[in-house]
Amino acid sequence: MTEPAAETTVGVVAHRSRLRTTAETVLRNRLAVFGLVILVLLVLVALAAPLIAPYTINQVDVANRLQGPSSQHWFGTDELGRDVFSRVIIASRVSLQVGFVSVGIALGLGVPVGLIAGYYGGRIDSILMRLMDILFSIPAIVLAIAILAALGPDIVNAMIAIGVVYTPIFARITRGSVLTLRDAVFVQAARSIGASDLRIIGNHVFPNVIAPIIVQTSLSLAFAILAEAALSFLGLGVQPPNPAWGRMLSEGRAFFQRAPWMAIFPGLAIFATVFAFNALGDGLRDALDPQQRSIIESRGRS
Amino acid sequence: MTQPVLSVRDLSVTFRTREGPAKVVDRISYDLGPGETLAIVGESGSGKSVSSLALMQLLPTPPAVVEGEAIFEGRNLLTLDEPEMQKIRGNRIAMIFQDPMTSLNPVRTIGHQLMEPIELHLGLTGRAARERAIELLHLVGIPSAEERIDDYPHQFSGGMRQRVVIAMGISCEPDILIADEATTALDVTTQAKIIDEIKGLQERLGMSLIWITHDLGVVAGVADRVVVLYAGHIMEEADVDDLFRVRRNPYTRGLLASLPVPGRTSRRLEAIPGLPPDPLRPPRGCPFSPRCPYVADVCVREEPALREPVPGHRSKCHFDPEDLHA
Repeated sequence: MTEPAAETTVGVVAHRSRLRTTAETVLRNRLAVFGLVILVLLVLVALAAPLIAPYTINQVDVANRLQGPSSQHWFGTDELGRDVFSRVIIASRVSLQVGFVSVGIALGLGVPVGLIAGYYGGRIDSILMRLMDILFSIPAIVLAIAILAALGPDIVNAMIAIGVVYTPIFARITRGSVLTLRDAVFVQAARSIGASDLRIIGNHVFPNVIAPIIVQTSLSLAFAILAEAALSFLGLGVQPPNPAWGRMLSEGRAFFQRAPWMAIFPGLAIFATVFAFNALGDGLRDALDPQQRSIIESRGRS
Repeated sequence: MTQPVLSVRDLSVTFRTREGPAKVVDRISYDLGPGETLAIVGESGSGKSVSSLALMQLLPTPPAVVEGEAIFEGRNLLTLDEPEMQKIRGNRIAMIFQDPMTSLNPVRTIGHQLMEPIELHLGLTGRAARERAIELLHLVGIPSAEERIDDYPHQFSGGMRQRVVIAMGISCEPDILIADEATTALDVTTQAKIIDEIKGLQERLGMSLIWITHDLGVVAGVADRVVVLYAGHIMEEADVDDLFRVRRNPYTRGLLASLPVPGRTSRRLEAIPGLPPDPLRPPRGCPFSPRCPYVADVCVREEPALREPVPGHRSKCHFDPEDLHA
């Protein structure tokens, strides 16, 4: 969009798009910027991982097993002499992928459900939201485990499972925001110019509910990555010999006394990623939707 | 009168509530001629907005039940299906809402919103739609429209926003424009400008206007004919000059007596005593009988018909105005 310095008859109104205002508010928040920097680094590392990694992930070197961090092996080696650093950065790919894909699934399912339920109300609303309540009432990890038990342990299935688990959150947040808009005058005005329901939902309702959805997306990415770690820890996510932070954590457990680095570094990676998404999410929330704070916090789930 | 553009016959709107049916519009009938301005006046809750929303099929049904007919181009608007209705809304019959602060979408540019009816009904897209939108903004008197089209509603003042809303309303050159308290939320000087604007556009486009308001001052300025609604009933209908000269109905008298008269500072405003009836429990007989200063036995016993003692002047009262000089 062009940015004319709008000198108006009403006075000088700074012409700033909402995107820009939001970006500025986020960038003033140090914690959010810190989170953003970590995430950018993480994504870059994940993209360039095969180039950066000094060893391949399954390069076994039994002679050098369980070595502590050194200049050859920055994060030490595991029980088979594999380089922990290489495995941690390669594993970042799968963690981010699972995070983005599963949250994408949750968005793709939850947002339309919320829009339809909130806009039409009545029986449609009751049916859809009771379905969401059922999903919501089952503890997330248990539901994911059940889905994986049915579909078989596999990374794609893990993404689907996590996506389904987080669908109700998006449905609820979207519906809640839509409810306040359904009777808005501009929605009725849109109807009075002959717009169809689909058009009203797409052009008038959806753009007004994006803010809380963006915030929830960032926070959900953190949860999704944690969920993937938990599933992989239980052996239900990424399958050997591919590395995943959760699996490395669980494998490192047996050697924690002799080689704590095996668990510490993947643990730190999980911590940093989740922290970064949360910090960014908080920053976005403060910028986009200050009054949503308490609502989202009360909806937080383990 | 020539063939009316819109003929409303026995339009009733009932809301089904938990406590029973509430009839908020009760068998109202009127004709709207081509190029004519019809003012519908009444207090809050008299059914004036609801009756026009019903015409556009914009009331949620249920809980609303709409009966009667509204003939527009030989078709009954109240029974058209949704796709047909969507072709009429904004295109042939457009509507302007009361509050310019809330009738525009806050997160979309006014250009986007203005182009919506143009794209929907005129089949214009892209550049052509944008140019038409700019043209419309010029038409409603928005300076430097080329730049302002990419602004958001919050960057406009109330009067300017209402101009944008009007531009949306007339974008497809409708046959009928319904202005629902279109100037009520504006200050008096802006109100006068907007009224002039709409009247000018009406002459230019030859459209008919339904002007819904509670402001009799505005009515005197804009209307050709006036329908006075009370508790969902038409109490009086007349040409505007007639109405202000001979008020046949006690309710209209009360309404006018409650207006301040410039220069007469000593007079206290006369409020009509009592409150409008609860639509869940309408009074027996005449709906205005509980508050009417001229009430007689017959008023409580039976509902008066909407009589037409003088051609073109209808009044819902058992008595003629001459009898009412009590």
